[in-house]
This record gives sequence, structure tokens and C-alpha cells, in this order.
Amino acid sequence: MGLGLRSLIAGAALSGAVFALAAPALAADYVAPRGPGGKHPDLNGVWQALNAANYDIERHLARHSMQLREGPHGPLPAVDLLKLGAVGAVPPGLGVVENGPLPYTPEGLARKRENAANWLERDPEVKCYLPGVPRATYLPQPFQILQSHDAVMIMYQYANAVREIYMEDVGEAPVDSWMGQSVGRWDGDTLVVEVTGQNDQTWFDRAGNHHSDQLKVTERYTPMSPDHLLYEATIEDPQTFTRPWKMSMPLYRRMEPDARLLDFRCVEFVEELMYGEWRRVPLERP
Amino acid sequence: MKNLIRSLAGGVVAASLAGAAVAADIPRTPDGRPDFSGTYNVATLTPLQRPEMFGDNLVLAPEEAARIAEEERKALAEDLERDDPNREAPPKGGDGSTGAAGNVGGYNAFWIERGDGAFQINGEFRTSIITDPPNGRFPTMTPTAMKDMMERRRFYRENTGEAWWLESHEVGPYDDPELRPLGERCLLGFGSTAGPPMLPVLYNNTKRIVQNANTVVILVEMNHDARVVRMNAEHAPADQRFWLGDSIGSWDGDTLVIDTTNFRDQTAMYNATRDLHVVERFRYGEDGQVIYSFTVEDPNVWSEPWTGEYPWPKTDDRMFEYACHEGNYALGGILRGARILEQETMDAKPEAGSE
Amino acid sequence: MKTTVAATLAAGAIALAPIAALAHHAFGAEFDPNRPLLLRGPVTKVEWVNPHTWIHIEVEKDDGTKEAWMVEGGTPNTLLRNGLTKRSLAPGTLIVVDGYQSKDRSNRANGRNVTLDNGEKIFMGSSGTGAPKDGADPRER
Repeated sequence: MGLGLRSLIAGAALSGAVFALAAPALAADYVAPRGPGGKHPDLNGVWQALNAANYDIERHLARHSMQLREGPHGPLPAVDLLKLGAVGAVPPGLGVVENGPLPYTPEGLARKRENAANWLERDPEVKCYLPGVPRATYLPQPFQILQSHDAVMIMYQYANAVREIYMEDVGEAPVDSWMGQSVGRWDGDTLVVEVTGQNDQTWFDRAGNHHSDQLKVTERYTPMSPDHLLYEATIEDPQTFTRPWKMSMPLYRRMEPDARLLDFRCVEFVEELMYGEWRRVPLERP
Repeated sequence: MKNLIRSLAGGVVAASLAGAAVAADIPRTPDGRPDFSGTYNVATLTPLQRPEMFGDNLVLAPEEAARIAEEERKALAEDLERDDPNREAPPKGGDGSTGAAGNVGGYNAFWIERGDGAFQINGEFRTSIITDPPNGRFPTMTPTAMKDMMERRRFYRENTGEAWWLESHEVGPYDDPELRPLGERCLLGFGSTAGPPMLPVLYNNTKRIVQNANTVVILVEMNHDARVVRMNAEHAPADQRFWLGDSIGSWDGDTLVIDTTNFRDQTAMYNATRDLHVVERFRYGEDGQVIYSFTVEDPNVWSEPWTGEYPWPKTDDRMFEYACHEGNYALGGILRGARILEQETMDAKPEAGSE
Repeated sequence: MKTTVAATLAAGAIALAPIAALAHHAFGAEFDPNRPLLLRGPVTKVEWVNPHTWIHIEVEKDDGTKEAWMVEGGTPNTLLRNGLTKRSLAPGTLIVVDGYQSKDRSNRANGRNVTLDNGEKIFMGSSGTGAPKDGADPRER
């Protein structure tokens, strides 16, 4: 057996081992300390995802840019993103979608491709719009869970987004909103949150993955260790996908002693982009 | 007193901990502290500053309070009356509305949620939210602050549908988005909604408090602002500045005390500067209401601190999302409109309008 | 001539807290008092957004052509607390709006006064019976 084949087999074995772990390994015997009220696990803390999901929730290799155009030997960054160089490149990701690829309807897939081709113009993150759920969870900025004896609230550093998790039935959401309406309950040591009433304006990532206003997200937050939560989100959207699908990822506690949310009210950072042409004395624009 | 509270395990109701003059059944958290969790609607017709006619009188006579409530009820009912479906457009030149409505009229009553009466604390109506200085009005401003305020006021002129600012050849109020009020830019609310201090405004007066031993969060509907109060902590370093300031909390008996500093240069509290310092207190009053009081100091602006208080009535209503920036068609309209008015003025009289 | 409630209240508020009231809302900056209008037509869409709800209507001009207009209202959250939902004010409902046009000359107006075509105010309580207080208002005491 040649060296190449041996290393190939070794590689396969290794990736097999990695694959078995990729289904997130729950430390099944971990019991978290109790939170306020003494009954449920304590989810309080500043948490953050540590993956490339916000770039692309599906498993992907590194790419030139978030928006591409055809070059003579393959894709290249779109003109508007060229000067970012490697800073504008998309890092690779193991993917957070279980049993991918995403089960789009034909129209859904076509729209995803259009979104990707027009990313700069269309991604709501560019305009600092509220990210919706689940994207808020895995944006590359921390969030804070505040859990009291009878209430849960989640605050996100990005765009000071915030969600109240109602721990009782509040009926149908009267109107759609950007962060949706969240209703939570405990399933053992897992906080289960159902999110309905989201509008169709948010995306899942910077790769153009999208949804309709029929979206229903069922999240599960489960303590895995003193400093990790397991986050799972089941996505149902019959208008966009042919079946429900699920994503999962660890969430990591921010360990700095002074860990806290700082301000990222990005509205002020996009005013030039969105309104600059109407200044009394407009500045140079691309 | 504090040691007694600490020595009790969670779940023990604290009848024996009753401090000065509080209702026997204050809701408490499992660790024995007063529980301010809940949703509140802080709308009230009581003004921040006392009308001068009341002098130093903090207490509002019940007849006067009844009159205010009745006038409000009548004004709302009038606005909700049926109109002539074959009515005309409003008058050219404006409908005479003053102030914020800017001569083009304001909102129908169904948009407004500003309360249906003056508030009461322990059975007593008040003439103002401000309790100190004794006349219920802001203290004297420093000369610099007064000058700055008058400068800013020059930006506010009656809406004539003309580019009046071109006459003075100076910075105009619509030159840049950064010159517009923070509420129009969707950075903070309209008025000092989250502040601190947190003040009642025309609508979206809902607040939600969620509390545990280490953190209290006050969620303010406008502008979906979550104030995160770190209990028994130290203030952030001076170079860390926050839109809502940096809030640390502690207990003084059964009163939650919140101390806020580290504001940015532009604050929600009008006229204040980055040196603003606010101390707020939440307590349960004898009448069982949550009472919110606050002391504001900014030596750059006011010659002395000023204090106010008003109740936070609990509500069964819900808070809804206030996604402001996402729906902000208005800011673009404001800027584009100013550019068009400037162009029209310059086209008509090119010498007068040039920079 | 009837002024709207906000104008009345704002007039009162002005005497007491001028800067606060002035900071209050954008209508004065956005709309042109020299361009009054009356719009009449069916609702095509309602955007339940903050800071202002936008009601889209189709207006038929004298020459028979149709124009799309947007009418700016207040925060939808007050209405949601009064029990309204995204199904309130269904497309097709005829409304009459008297207000002023946007300074940028686009097809936008402030919703200074928005009524149904029978003159009743829109968004009147959750049951929409038209009575100012029909028991649906939780603030009623």
C-alpha cells in the first residue's frame, strides 16, 4: 500500500472520528447549578458563538468574498468589495446545519442564489437591521441571557437587539416583527423557545440563506458544562423549504472577569451609506 | 438590617424585614429582595416641570386633577368624533398647530398613549414630577449651558415650508443626519425614554423589569433599549462610554439604588453632557405602587442637582418591538425635503441662497 | 377648524417643557404646510413599523389614472395594545386622509387625520365599533 493510500485511510479514519464528534457531544451527565428560584439550570451569562455560521450556515470552503463575480479563472470579489482584500474573504466553516444541504424548494434555492449574487445590496446586516432569530445567536458579537425566577430576556450586543421570552402562552403574534415573538418553557434542563411572527426581511447568514414570514423557529438551550451551552434550532418554513431542518452549535461563555455587552448601535455607522447622498454638502461617494 | 437580609435563605418571605413604612406584602424575589419584576406603563399627564402658577406647591388639589383628566378625556373624545367624509384638505400655509407638530398637524388620538390623568403617590396628586428645587422646575443653568441651549433653539423655527436657514448662511438644521434629534435617527427614543432619568413621553411608555441577584434589566419600549444594571459592581473605566450610561446597582434596605455615569457626549436627557450623573431609586410605596425617583446632576449644565419622582403602575399590557431604524422612511424624507426646499430657494433668488 | 389632539396637548406641553416637545416628532421637519391635500382611496397595504406606521393607499386622480401614496401615522404599538392586529384595516378599505405632502414632493403625506369613508376614525378600539371607548381599552377605569 503506497504512502498516499495509507495517509488517505488514516485521514478517512480521522475524519470519521471527527464526524462522530461533530454531532455535538453532550456531556450527558453534566448537571448545571440551579438559577434564581432554585428549579431550573442557571443560563445567566454573557455568551457567544464561535464559528463561521454568520458567513454561511452550511458547510463551506473559504471563498474570495461575500459577493462574487466571474473572473478569467474562477470567481473573484465583486468590484465594490475589492479593496477589502483578504479581510473581505469568507473563512471556511464546518457548517451548523445538520444533514445538509438546506432543503430549499426550487424557488427558494433560486432566490438564495440571487441573494448571494446581490449580497451587498440585499443583506440586512449591511444596513444594521435587526437580525432575527436564529441569526442573532451566532453573529460574531456576544449576547447576554438574563434569567430571573420567572422570566428570561436575551440582549444582543449587535444593534442592541433584545428579546423577551414569555414564559406563558400569549397567543398569536398580532403583527410580524424583526425579532419575532418568543414563548419559552422548560423541558428538563433545556430551555425551549418557540419563535413565531418574524417578518421575511431577515436572513440566516451572509450567504443569502433566507426565509418567509411563515418561519417558525424552535430553539433549545441546554447547559453542557459550566461554560458551554448547546444551542439547537429547528427551522420550519413550508414556503421556503421542503421539510423542517435543524442547526446546532456550542455557545461559549465569555470568560473575561469584566465580560459585558458594550454598545454596537450600528445605526450611526450606516447613516453615511443610507443618507449621505442627501447631505447639504454630500461627501465623495463610490 | 442588611445582615439580617443576607442571612435568610431564599424563599423566606420577609414580613419581619419590613423597613420604614412599607406595605406588609411587597413582592419579593427568592433571595428576599423586593421584586420589581413586571411590565409597567408610566404614561402620565403630570408634567416634568411644574406650571409656574403652582409656585412651591407640590400637591395638586383633587379638583384640579379631576379637571385635567376631564379635559384630556374630552380632547380625546373630540378627536375621535366622526368627521365629514366630504371634508376639504386642511388650509394652505398650515393648520396652526404649534410646537412639535410643526404647523402640519399631529397624530389622531388613537396613536397616542400619554395617560389619562395626573398621577398619585400615596393618595396625593402632584403638580410636577420634579420635587426639588422646591418650585418644581429645573435649577438655573450655567451661562455656558444656557448659551448652548439658545444656540440649539435657533434650529427650531416654525415650519413654513421654506428653507429659512439659508438666510443666515450658517449651519442649517437639516444639513446632515447627525444634526437631527436622536429619536429621528433611531439611536434613542423621542425624549428621555431610557435616559436615565426615565421620563414619560407621548407614547411607548411601557417598561419591563427583569431582576435577579446580580443583574437588573430595565427594558424600555422606545427604542428597544435594555438597560443592564450590574449589581454591586464598579463603574466602567472613564474611557468606556455608553448611550444609556453605565449603571451599577445596590440595595439600601428595600430600595434599589441605581447609579449611572459614563454617558456619551450626546445624552437622551436634553441639555445634559457626558458628565451627567444620575441616581435612581425604586421602592414600593405605602399604596403598593412602585415609585421611581431620580436625582440628576451635571455641573456643566445645572447649578445644583434636581430630583423628581413618579409612580410606575403595573400593567397587563405587553411591550411590543420598537424596530425604529428598520422602518425609518422619515429621515430620508426630511433630508431630501430640505435639499429640495434649498434648491427652490436658490433657484428663485440665487444671490441670497449661496453659501 | 378642529385641531388634532396632539396639537392641543403639544401646545400645553410647550409651555412646560419646550425642548422636550420640540425633540418630539418628525412631522414638522418632514411635511410642507404649503402643500395641503385630501387623499381618498382603498388601502393597499399597512406597514406596521416604528417609529411610524405607514398606510399605503391608491388614489384615483381626476384623469382616471391611479397613484400610490403613503400616509405616515404613529407608533403601531399603541394600537397593538388596544387589540389591533395585522388583519385590522384590511386592504380594500376606503379611507380619507387630510394632511400635508412631504417636503421632498414624493407621494407621501402625514396622517394628520385618517378616517374611514364614512368619517369614522380608523383604528377605533379593538372591536372597531366606532365608539371612542367601547370597553376594549384596558386603560379605562
